[in-house]
Amino acid sequence: MRGFGTSGRLRHTRLQAVLAVAAMGAAVALPVVLVSVGGGVYDHEIASIQNAGYQIAVSSAGSHSITGAHADVARFGAVAGVTYVSPVLSIAVTAFNTTGAATAVLAEGVIPGEFEPTLGSTESGLFPSPLPLGDPTDRIHYANGTYSGPATYDVLVSSPFAQAYDVRTGDALALGLTANASSAVRYNVTGTFGVPPSIIGPIGAFAIVLPLSDLQVMTGYANGTGTIVPDAVDTIQIVVTGHVATDPSALESVRAQIQTLVPYYGVSSLGQEAAQLQAADSVLTGFDLALSSVGIAIGLLFLALVLFRRVESDRRAIGIRRAIGLPARSIAAGIVGDGLVLAAGGAAVGLFGGFLLVTFLAHFASSTVQEAAQLAVFDPRMLAELAAAVLALSVVASLAATRSALRLDLSEALR
Amino acid sequence: MRPAAPATIALEGVTRTYGHGADEVPALRGVDLTIAPGEFVSVEGPSGCGKTTLLNLLGLLDAPTTGVLRWGGRPVGDRSDRERTRLRLEGVGFIFQRFYLLPTLTARENVELPMRALGVGRAERARRASGLLGEVGLTRRERAYPHQLSGGEEQRVAVARALANAPGLLLADEPTGELDSGNTQAILDLLVRVRAARSATLVLVTHNPEVAARARRHLGMLDGKIVRDARDA
Ligand SMILES: Nc1ncnc2c1ncn2[C@@H]1O[C@H](COP(=O)(O)OP(=O)(O)OP(=O)(O)O)[C@@H](O)[C@H]1O
Ligand SMILES: [Mg+2]
Repeated sequence: MRGFGTSGRLRHTRLQAVLAVAAMGAAVALPVVLVSVGGGVYDHEIASIQNAGYQIAVSSAGSHSITGAHADVARFGAVAGVTYVSPVLSIAVTAFNTTGAATAVLAEGVIPGEFEPTLGSTESGLFPSPLPLGDPTDRIHYANGTYSGPATYDVLVSSPFAQAYDVRTGDALALGLTANASSAVRYNVTGTFGVPPSIIGPIGAFAIVLPLSDLQVMTGYANGTGTIVPDAVDTIQIVVTGHVATDPSALESVRAQIQTLVPYYGVSSLGQEAAQLQAADSVLTGFDLALSSVGIAIGLLFLALVLFRRVESDRRAIGIRRAIGLPARSIAAGIVGDGLVLAAGGAAVGLFGGFLLVTFLAHFASSTVQEAAQLAVFDPRMLAELAAAVLALSVVASLAATRSALRLDLSEALR
Repeated sequence: MRPAAPATIALEGVTRTYGHGADEVPALRGVDLTIAPGEFVSVEGPSGCGKTTLLNLLGLLDAPTTGVLRWGGRPVGDRSDRERTRLRLEGVGFIFQRFYLLPTLTARENVELPMRALGVGRAERARRASGLLGEVGLTRRERAYPHQLSGGEEQRVAVARALANAPGLLLADEPTGELDSGNTQAILDLLVRVRAARSATLVLVTHNPEVAARARRHLGMLDGKIVRDARDA
């Protein structure tokens, strides 16, 4: 019956090895996915910031009139080195297409001539140039703090929006502040713009771009009736040129000058924002790794148990080796080696499994997860460090089993 | 290979008790014994009288519960575990009552194992293992695993393994228990020859009077004590 006994135990041992490798694999796959996807998303956002056509952003949480926006353009534009100042006012509106279907969308009011230079290298390719918004300076309708001349009623729509609501260039699109179609105003769609593959990028967020003061037409405020459009978000994007664009300290000095003009607004340079994102990325990565270390600890505990069980069931063989006079270190090396083999198997399964999982998510997950997975970056150094750490820790995990093997009572083990 | 010179082994009032409390088994109850280098000693006695326990102590696999065990005059208890392990590897060839071959190694690998631990090169190891397996008549079973061998074949592999490092002390626990008379003679002849060639000490436990008769000194054990110690003239 020895044959049966041996093969039964062998199967048992193999099953334990498979389970240990699977546990370590799952533990390693977690940080691979978290760090690769998280890091990828941050990298992408940082890259898009570094790709932006502007260098300084002024933001305020408060309500901001168009008068104020034009005044700020003049004030900020007077600072040496500043070439373009583009206020961007976001507001939720209701759009009614030709069939009368209503959709809530985010509209972005801009000064077309100032807005265009703020588009980064990727974004600018997505917009028609020059922007077909009729009124590059937003002055036909607005001048010197008053509204004069006719509004252009021109509007650009994003291509996903155009596709979803069957809106084409040349169509009419009614926009209103409320869901009441009768108080909406007719605009002309003069073009579409593409949306870059970004999750939290600035353009993906809005569906409609129109001249700033044309926002006011919607309320009748421009004609002396109605109320001023409250802006939900206020951003002023500032383009600098010359040495200011390349010299961080010069840029910082411009930022500081603008800050003194609007001490109550947030004024940040994109370099700072990128640095902040970088810092946030590091914090997130650290957090991911801390979280994953729980999983890895469990995997290692499992590994330790499996090795311990092996020593238990190999008492006889270990006893024989000790009795013959094999040194303790060779026994220990055998067990640590076993641990390393299992951990290496687990690390390989985890790295490859994590990679497969991310690839799978990039193809089949729901939209946001899919986008995030597509941005995943596999940093070979991080992965190598992870594998090395797991291997090093497996040595620690095999200590308990090694200890018990070396403490074996020979006269007991050889009974 | 440099044969490790055998040492004088002395037991002074040695007892060995297994277990604790109600489970206590006194396997040796006060043994005084000196074995000089190169002696050929047989140990006889009924089952359970402590023969294997005595061999384990002589071979440094176990330590006395009370009393002193000396190797070359020095109490073994003074030596570290590491030193005792090294002494076993270089100086002791153990033929276990139950063979104790490693089931995952072939016959030849089992014989090579002690040489490997001693750092003998691969080719030399293979050559010597083959030679030893030839001497025990197993040339054609070199690659067999223990579970593919008969009891007698396993026993002969165990003999070959015990001789691998040319030890100065050979401890044989019924080394011919599983063998027919032809093989018994062959193995005995081998052990006797090896002992003579290296002036090694040989302590041999047996139930077979013919085997015991080959020794020069005859110990009789009963209930954990040595009750007879006779030398041939
Ligand atoms: N590890 C152990 N734990 C408990 N009792 C043991 C242990 N080893 C041996 N014994 C007991 O000690 C006594 C002596 O055992 P030992 O193996 O030395 O006998 P033996 O003379 O070799 O017997 P046999 O001829 O059957 O091999 C026996 O009663 C045995 O049951
Ligand atoms: Mg015995």
